[in-house]
Parts: sequence; C-alpha cells; structure tokens
Amino acid sequence: MASSPLDRKRRLLEALPDQPEFVSTLDLVWRQAQSSFPGARLGEWLEACHGLAESDVGRDCVVSYVRSAPAIASAAGADAALSIARMVSETAARAGDRAAASLAMVASRAARRLANGAAFAEWLRVIQIVVAAAPESVTPLLDRSESLLQELGVQGFEAWVLNGVRQGATDPQKRLAFFTRRDQQTLRTASHEEDEVSLSDVERQLKAFIMALWHMAPPIRALSNGAPDRPRRASFANGIVRLPSSFRGHSRDEASLLYSAAIAHVAAHLQFSRMKFAIGSLKPLQMALISLIEDARIEHLAMRQFPGLGRLWRPFHIAMPSGALTAPALMARLARALIDPGHADDNGWIQKGQEMFFAEEARWEDPGISRSIGGLLGNDLGQMRVQFNARTYSVEPAYRDDNQGLWVFDDAGAPADEQETILEAVRFEREDDAEQPDRERETPEDDADGQEANRAALVEVDSEVGIPVARYPEWDFLIGRERPQWATLVEYEASEGQADAVEDILHRYPVLEQRITKLVRSAKVSRPQRLRRQQEGDRLDLDACIGAAIDQRLGDTPDPRIYARLERRFRDLSVLLLLDVSQSTNDVVPGAGRKVIELEREATALLAHAMAGLGDPFAIHAFCSDTRADVRYYRLKAFDAPYGPAAKRHLAGISGRFSTRMGAALRHAGRELSARMSYRRLLLIISDGEPSDVDVADRRYLVEDARQAVKSMARLGVDVFCVGLDAGGDNYLTRIFGRRNVLQIDRVERLPEKLSMLYFRLLGS
Amino acid sequence: MDLRHYVIAHEPYYRAAADEVDLFQAAYADRMPMMLKGPTGSGKTRFVEHLAWKLGKPLITVACHEDMTASDLVGRFLLDAQGTLWHDGPLTLAVRYGAICYLDEIVEARQDTTVVIHPLTDDRRILPLEKKGEVIHAHPDFQLVISYNPGYQSVLKDLKESTKQRFGAIQFDYPPSAIEAEIVAHEAGVDRNLAQQLVGIAERSRNLKGHGLEEGASTRMLIQAGRLVSRGASLQAACRTAIVLPITDDEDIRAALTAAISACL
Repeated sequence: MASSPLDRKRRLLEALPDQPEFVSTLDLVWRQAQSSFPGARLGEWLEACHGLAESDVGRDCVVSYVRSAPAIASAAGADAALSIARMVSETAARAGDRAAASLAMVASRAARRLANGAAFAEWLRVIQIVVAAAPESVTPLLDRSESLLQELGVQGFEAWVLNGVRQGATDPQKRLAFFTRRDQQTLRTASHEEDEVSLSDVERQLKAFIMALWHMAPPIRALSNGAPDRPRRASFANGIVRLPSSFRGHSRDEASLLYSAAIAHVAAHLQFSRMKFAIGSLKPLQMALISLIEDARIEHLAMRQFPGLGRLWRPFHIAMPSGALTAPALMARLARALIDPGHADDNGWIQKGQEMFFAEEARWEDPGISRSIGGLLGNDLGQMRVQFNARTYSVEPAYRDDNQGLWVFDDAGAPADEQETILEAVRFEREDDAEQPDRERETPEDDADGQEANRAALVEVDSEVGIPVARYPEWDFLIGRERPQWATLVEYEASEGQADAVEDILHRYPVLEQRITKLVRSAKVSRPQRLRRQQEGDRLDLDACIGAAIDQRLGDTPDPRIYARLERRFRDLSVLLLLDVSQSTNDVVPGAGRKVIELEREATALLAHAMAGLGDPFAIHAFCSDTRADVRYYRLKAFDAPYGPAAKRHLAGISGRFSTRMGAALRHAGRELSARMSYRRLLLIISDGEPSDVDVADRRYLVEDARQAVKSMARLGVDVFCVGLDAGGDNYLTRIFGRRNVLQIDRVERLPEKLSMLYFRLLGS
Repeated sequence: MDLRHYVIAHEPYYRAAADEVDLFQAAYADRMPMMLKGPTGSGKTRFVEHLAWKLGKPLITVACHEDMTASDLVGRFLLDAQGTLWHDGPLTLAVRYGAICYLDEIVEARQDTTVVIHPLTDDRRILPLEKKGEVIHAHPDFQLVISYNPGYQSVLKDLKESTKQRFGAIQFDYPPSAIEAEIVAHEAGVDRNLAQQLVGIAERSRNLKGHGLEEGASTRMLIQAGRLVSRGASLQAACRTAIVLPITDDEDIRAALTAAISACL
C-alpha cells in the first residue's frame, strides 16, 4: 500500500520518540529534501534514514547523514545519497563512528566540488576501497579529501589513495603514516608510476638544456597521455611547448634521453622553422611528408651548430630497410635516411628522397625546400597507393613532435583530429592572453571538471557574505576628536585563484628570485658578530689593548673598553603585509602593460617567498571599502598558517574593487600585529592612491584619519611603512606616514624587485 | 724600503679586446684611480699585472675579505720588547714607496674600511695615519686600482656612492669568441679548433646565467679545461672536471650543462 511521504515521515518520527536530535534535524532539512529527492525516492530516503536510526550506528552518524543527504542528492543525484546510507553503516562497523560521521559531511562537500554524478561515484568508490582495505586511514583521508580533490582532481585523488593503500600493504601503521603525511612529494608522485620518469622530474633540466643551447625559455606544459593506441607526441604552437607528461613504456634512462631529444628537436623548430606553411589544397599525406622533410632540415641546421645533437637523435631512428610497405613504415625509414646520410635503404622512393634532400644541402636555410621536396614525395607516395590514415598516424620516432606548430590552419583544410588539437592550442593562447589566474588548466579532461568547479566557485563569490568583526573610531580633524564606533570592519573569505599562477611569478623573475634566495641565505644564518671595544667581554681586543698601552705611555688616560666578545644576533620580527585592493588597482600601468594589482601580486609573491625562506612570521591581508559600514578585509595568509597552496590560491584570487578607507584597515591590522610576541612588529602597506570612499566628500578627512591611525600604531609598538605606487602621492603619503616611512615607487613596473629589496633593507636597519 | 719583490719581471700575457690598455695608460699618466668591473675570470687581475709590467711599476695586490678592517690595509702597532712598533699595511707601503695598489673585490671589505681610501683618491693624495699621527703624501708613482664585480652586488654589499664616484672604470667582459679562442689557445697550449670548441661550450654555460647558474664559465675555466686536454685528458672529462663540476652543485643544471656540452662536440 502506497502512502504519501508525509505519512511516512510522521510514522518515522513516531517510531523514534527517543531521538529528539534526529527529529529536529529531519525537520530542518525537510524542505530541501523534498526538492532534491524526486517522487518515490523521498520515501526510499526516509526508509534509509529509518534503517540507520534503528541500527546500532552512533547517533552522530545518523544525524550527520540526515543533514548532509539532501545536499548530496541535489549535487550528485538521489542514488548517490542513498548509497551513502549503506556506506555510513558499513564505515561505522569497520572504521568507527567518527569516520562514519565525517563521511556524510565530507561527501556533501565533495559532491558540491565535483558537481557531477560520475566523478562523485568515482570518489565514493575510492572511499569504499579504503573503508574495506585500510579502515584505520579513513578518518585522516576524509579530513584531507577536500584539499586533495582541489590539488589533484578526482583521478589524481584515486591514484594517490590507491598508491597509499598499496604501499602500506599489510601494515596499518605504514598506511596511516602515508595518509597523514603532508609533503608535496607524495602528491606529485601520485600521478605516475614509480619507475617512470615524468615531465615534472626533468622539466627544470630540459629548460636549462635549451636555455644553454639557444638561450630560449618557452613555457613548457604537460600533455596528458592520450589514448593507448596512439602514443602522445610533443607539440608546439604559439610559443608554448607541450611535452607528454610521461613516455609510457620506456625505461628510466631511455625516457630521460627521449625527453632531451624531444626538447632539443622542438627547440630546433623554434630556432629554425621561422615561418609557417599554408595548407591550401595539400592532402594530409603531403602535409605529413612536408613536416618530415622540415624535421630533417631543422635537425641538420641544428647539427651544424651542435654536432653532438646527432648522437642524441640518431639512436631513436631504428626503422630497418625491410618490412611492410605502409606509409608510416616508409616514412619512418625516410626519416632515418634523411638524418643519417650514410644509411642505405634499397627502396627507390626513399633513395629519391634522400638524394633530393642532400642535393639541396646549400639551401637548407630555406624552409621552401621542405615544401617542394615534401610535396613531390607526397605525390609519389600517393601514386604508390599505400595506406595512410591521418587519424591514426603518429610521427616516428617518438622524440619528434606532431608538427602542429608548422602549419597555418584554416577551418576547411585541417583533418578533424588535428583541428581538435589546434583548438586546444588556441584555447591556451586565449587564456594566456587574458592572464586569467586559472589559465593553468591544461588537459581537456581537467577542463570539464575545472569548469564545473569554477561555476560552483562563482556562485559562492556572488553570494559573498562577510562577518562584521569590529567597529573602529574615525578621527575627524574638523572637530579634533574621534567619532567613536564609526567604521565597521567586515572580514570576508578571500576568493581563490590557481596556486600555480603564483608559482609562475617566481619563474618570471629568475634573476631576482635567485638574488632573494641568496640574500635569504646570508640573512638567515645568524652569523656571530664580533663586538669590539666593549667594557666587558670574554677576550681582549688586541687593537684596543695596544691603544690603551700607548695612551698609558703617553701619559693619557687609557680607554677602558678593551674587551671583545662574540655575539649571535637573532632576528625576531613579525610582518604584516597589507595590500590595497581598491578599484583603482585595476588601472593598467603605462609602460608595463599590466595592472597595478598584478604587480602587487607579483611583488607580494616574491616578498612572501623571501619571508617564508627567512622563517619570519608574516601575514598577508588585503582591504578595500564600500562606505564606512563595509570596510572589507581579507586574510590571504594568517600568521600561523603556512605559506602553502592555500595562501597562494588566495593571493592569486585577489581582485580590485571599491574604495580605499585606509584608517580602519590600518587599525585592524595594527591590533592584530600588536598581539604578536615579537621584538619588532612591522606593518608594511602597499597602496596605490589617496584614501577615499564614496561616502566622504572631503579629501582631507580620510588622510587625517589615516595619519591618526598611524600615530596610534606607534603607541601599540608597531612600525608602519608604506610603499606608495602613486607618482603624485608624495604629499598625502608623507602626511600620513611621515617622510621617513614612505617609499615612493615612481616606476610601478619595478615594484616586484623593489619590494623585496626594501624588505632586506628594513631588516638591515 | 724597496719594493723590488713587487715588480713583475716577465711580461704577463694579455690580449686586449679593445682600447683598454691605452685607456689605462692614459689614466695612469694622470694617476687617476681606476675601477675594473666585470665577472670573475674575465682577466681583471691579469690586466693589472700586464699594465704594471708595462709601466714598470711594482704592484701590491690585496684580496679583500669581509672581516678586513682599516688596519689591515693601513697598518697597525705591534708589540715588541721595547714597547710598540708600527707596521705599515700594504696600502701604506704602496703610498709611501710608490706602487700600484690593487684592491681585489673591494665590495667584500666592510664599508668603513673603504673610507680610508677616500683622501687618497681625490686631488689631496694623502693617507692620514691617525694612530701614528702621520700624514703620508703619496709617492708620485702611486696609483690605486680596485676591482668590482657587479654580479656579486647585492643591497647589502655595494660600494658607497661617494666611493664609486672617485674612480674611472673599465668594463671587462668575456671577449668576443675569436679573441677568447685565441687567448685559450695561447694560455692552455691547445690548437685553435679545440679552443674554439671550448669557447662554444662556454657560451652554452653563459646562456644559463640567471637561469640556474650565477655566472657562466669564465675564460679562466676554459683555460683550465684546455690545460687538462693538453695534458692528455679527453675533452669530455676535462669539461666535466674544469667546468661542470666546479660551476654548480645543482643536479638538474649539471645534467643540462653536460647535455649541452655533449651537443657541442
């Protein structure tokens, strides 16, 4: 007999009179549940709740499940929410109530993040495996699930978790250690097998290699491994080099060589393939051959300059002059015949190609010969009626790239699959141009997930809600008094960007980064300092002694300070970096072509890199304001948080909005800083303009208020230093901070290097 | 006291890349203090030696270090049985008896140390010995030369503006590849082809400056590699011993440099 869900609910509640918490929770989510469990599923869900409530699972688990299930159902479907009921009881039985209680909660967050039923099912499956195979590790894993998903995506998450389960094998302690360990290394190795060389292992080396050869530093990106039937090849387009994230099926040494050969080949293209070919009416086979001749041409040019490259490339050419007469096989043989003039092949077509190519040796500088020779050979091969399938064709040998970068594609001419790849490239380019913080998404698979995640993030931003934390007075210079409780400071959750964008900043300033590292090293070691001419000390200062003896003989009064001692000076300093993120920071800096806020971000990233290296406790906060009722304050990095991916994501996520009500932000930052137990407390503020707000007409008012705030900092024992980015800001900034505590940067594009150097200077003083 | 020991007897080899020899001679004629700027191993010290030989003046070289005090340059009282005894420092020797005084890597010295050279480097040309109560008027042959490597320069170690502006400067850099090959061939005793290859290798490493290396391989390094080859080492091994291993401890950069070197051969 079917009954309405409402009846079912009533009966369920009646059946559990001794569980008031359950009842109230169900009431709380009832409305949401009605909309997220369609039709009969609502009844099924109630059934599941009932079952859980009556089982011997802890009450917390049940309540947490009831609370989370509707959210899971709306994000990942009712089935997922129902299957979690079964998992909760299973988890409780195997891993304990605590794990089971957090399972439902974490699952609802994961469902929201993944925002797609299939990915969530995958996540659930992974958790299920851990529940079954490593119950002791369920709780630590769940605790980290959120951040792991963010870092690795669901596939990476799976790889990492399975790796942990396998490494721990039968030893629960070992497994537990793996899942609680927080180093990045375990995460990085998550995505590939242990004996495999991945791009991230050799990337630095490859970059240095081509930098040494041709002084070029194209950005290198990883390509995910494609379908198993068609091996991935390197690729370059629009100045970006993409290499497979790993070369499957090659041993460690071989793969390293393969990477070196591939990057040298691509770099040779960048160096010598200076023009792109138009496709016109060319057939795919002709394109492949023209590319092949071009490959040989640029390799020979490169070998003229660096003969040793031949030793790197030739061993990969293993095509023998025998075997089936298919197009790919013939082309591999031709490639070998072209790189190695001594290689003899009995095939007439290959001999012809070899002769034609080497006859043009004097004209190798000219890319036109690739086109003419390749076109002719393509015609010949076409007449030989050999099989060629552009879809499955993959360039041989493995170090060569797919030659996408050689061609100008128009929509009509490109084979479908190549177009696909090109579209990818175009997308990269667009993202790069826009300098969006999330431009680092690379693989198509990631894209889908990433967009979903972004959509979710956007919704959060729109509904941004801050928590008012304090009211600060404001100084009114006209009445010469403070207006009490005037400005309300509201703390907002900082929005997130991609941490990689911040990492990239360091790569953009290699010289500066190195200099900072060096300065950090010299500043960090608290070197013993010899203090001479002291009243007391553990040894005699010879110079002072001699001086005293001479004075004595001359009949003068000797200086009694004749001792020396060694002392180690330690640094004890807390720094709070306060960024102005008002609307005006969106202005583009003339000459730099970038926005003020981007320069602020870069400067902050470099400085944070230095401070993290020094081990000084530091925080990064940001502020803007929208009237005195809403002085917005963001904590990008708190004092006790590490400067890790979370802080970097926050830093990448800053954007400029609203106005600059400096006083309240200064007071708030100062209050926090004054609570630090440090010998020296430094508040470093970066501002690009005059304090202003939409509800204040008098320009002087906020300036005077900020001045008053700075004065009060001194009473709190906080040193304030301002870096001004407004070339004309001399007047009011010196008014606010005092002449000695302001550094004007007239060329804002130099902020990144200036800021860190300034910091070291402040340290030295 | 005579400075015979400081006189350079045989001509040190120096291959001019531009007009630096003439410039320096002109500067010496006026006793203008000179500053030699440039990366390590680019021939600054050799240049001074060559010029001292050419001018026939004694050369007193002081390698500056971070613990160096003014007394290390100027001199100090020592104790002896009778009491105290003044001992001239290297700078005082040069000033008193007329020599070219060459302060190598002057930025390494503490800033207060460098101030003692101020009265010597303007038209006063005097060295006051405060402790001794003596003012030395510089010998007519005296000239001050310092070397200065802007590559090492950091905010913490830089010459004072007031010091910098007293000097004329000559910029040293790695010479153009043909000249550098000639130098390597001469100094290491290898043939031109090999020297040219070594210079090609050096260019690879200089490309890495700021991208993993603090400084590329210097001419000095090439000469050392060349010498190893002329003593029978293979070129690969010589480059490894004289260039790759000394220049960096970074595994990745070493591997990249090794690969780039083998591409050159």
